[in-house]
Amino acid sequence: MRASTLLSESLAVLGKELTAELRSRVALNAVGLFGLTTLIAVAYQIGPYRIQEQDRPHLLAALLWVILFFAATSGLSRVFVKEEDAHTAKTLRLAARPLAVFAGKFLFNLILLAALYAFIVPLYCALMGYAVQGVASLALLLACGAVALSATSTMVAAIISRASGSTTLFAILSVPLVLPLLVMLIQGTRAAAGSTTIAAVLPALQGVVSLGGATLVISVYLFPVVWHD
Amino acid sequence: MTKTRLRAVLQWALGVWFVLVILAAFFYAPSASGFKGESARIVFFHVPQAWVAVLAFCVNLVASLRYLRTRNPIDDARAAAAARLGLVFSLLATVTGSLFANVMWNSFWNWDPREVSIVILLLIYAAYFALREAIPDEERRGSLSAAYAVLAFVTMPFLVFVVPRIYWSLHPDTIIGATGQLKLQMESRMLQVLLGSLVGFTGLFSWLYTLEVRLARARLARRGREEV
Repeated sequence: MRASTLLSESLAVLGKELTAELRSRVALNAVGLFGLTTLIAVAYQIGPYRIQEQDRPHLLAALLWVILFFAATSGLSRVFVKEEDAHTAKTLRLAARPLAVFAGKFLFNLILLAALYAFIVPLYCALMGYAVQGVASLALLLACGAVALSATSTMVAAIISRASGSTTLFAILSVPLVLPLLVMLIQGTRAAAGSTTIAAVLPALQGVVSLGGATLVISVYLFPVVWHD
Repeated sequence: MTKTRLRAVLQWALGVWFVLVILAAFFYAPSASGFKGESARIVFFHVPQAWVAVLAFCVNLVASLRYLRTRNPIDDARAAAAARLGLVFSLLATVTGSLFANVMWNSFWNWDPREVSIVILLLIYAAYFALREAIPDEERRGSLSAAYAVLAFVTMPFLVFVVPRIYWSLHPDTIIGATGQLKLQMESRMLQVLLGSLVGFTGLFSWLYTLEVRLARARLARRGREEV
């Protein structure tokens, strides 16, 4: 029998997550509909013309990340809670090593975030009249932001799945951890909207990459403790 | 000298030290220029409170890491005690900072990056206790809250050093300047009082922390006896 590697185990966990999600579409529906509903509410009430010209860079960047983050929150918390609810966590503990479980769930959350961004960001730009000069800079910022958000959310989701009152706890625990990241992402988005050069978003990007990287490394170290406790 | 007697002497010394710091803050340190009235004197209390809030966060991290290694309940009690004190001191730092903001800028709250940073620190401490409350099993509570504390600690350097430097801030210059160089442009008597206050507040934190840990140790011992 061929010994399974960490990569193959991680991909197997990711495959299981994707198959289960495509079957039920709970997280996809939650994230997509939450994002769409919030976007429509914001676009209807504020739209492209109700913000003063000088306030547009700040407000549009902040609103975009508020929509993206809260839409993501509705789906990212489920990755471990659903294992506890379905009583499959024990089987998963036996079937794969902790790092593979973390990697699989982290990648699943990353794909979920990428799908949300691909759906919401172009719609937001169209409905709010948000002209972004540095499209490449924004794409880079979204990618780094997704990695950092996914790392934090996956770890917090693992913690709350072992506690009672999980759904409310996710927001309570993740918002303070994610706020510095959101501040840097909003700042970077504002810079990307106003300039075509990558240099404009570099300070924010450095912050996002450092925080995301540090969170990812710490999560890899802590996950076995949380998972096997 | 017995341990109890030494503790009593240290407590009295701390009390006398604080009286001296308060007197020095109002009568020994000169007025600072560029600030409204005597508002700058709050620095002798506000800065040490913020320092203790960060120190408590560090103690919480060390105790949490120890708990993850040893699984000794007293380390979990140490982490919780540090977090509790950190919560109190970050609340005090927020209130004193807010009072200063009202005198200087006629508003208790200005959404300054440093105000936001300390509030996020408060939220992290509050979330830590919300998590502890949600887990009835003691061992699991210890390990999950320790994991959360370590994860939360990662954000602290970004809150304290990065975010306030990305955004323009009303806050007076901190000891480490925006370009990373050490800035100690303070009149020497003011600096003496500030350092004295830092020592006093650190002593106060140590005393309260020791009390909390002793109380937790006594509770654990009593429970151990009841279980036997």
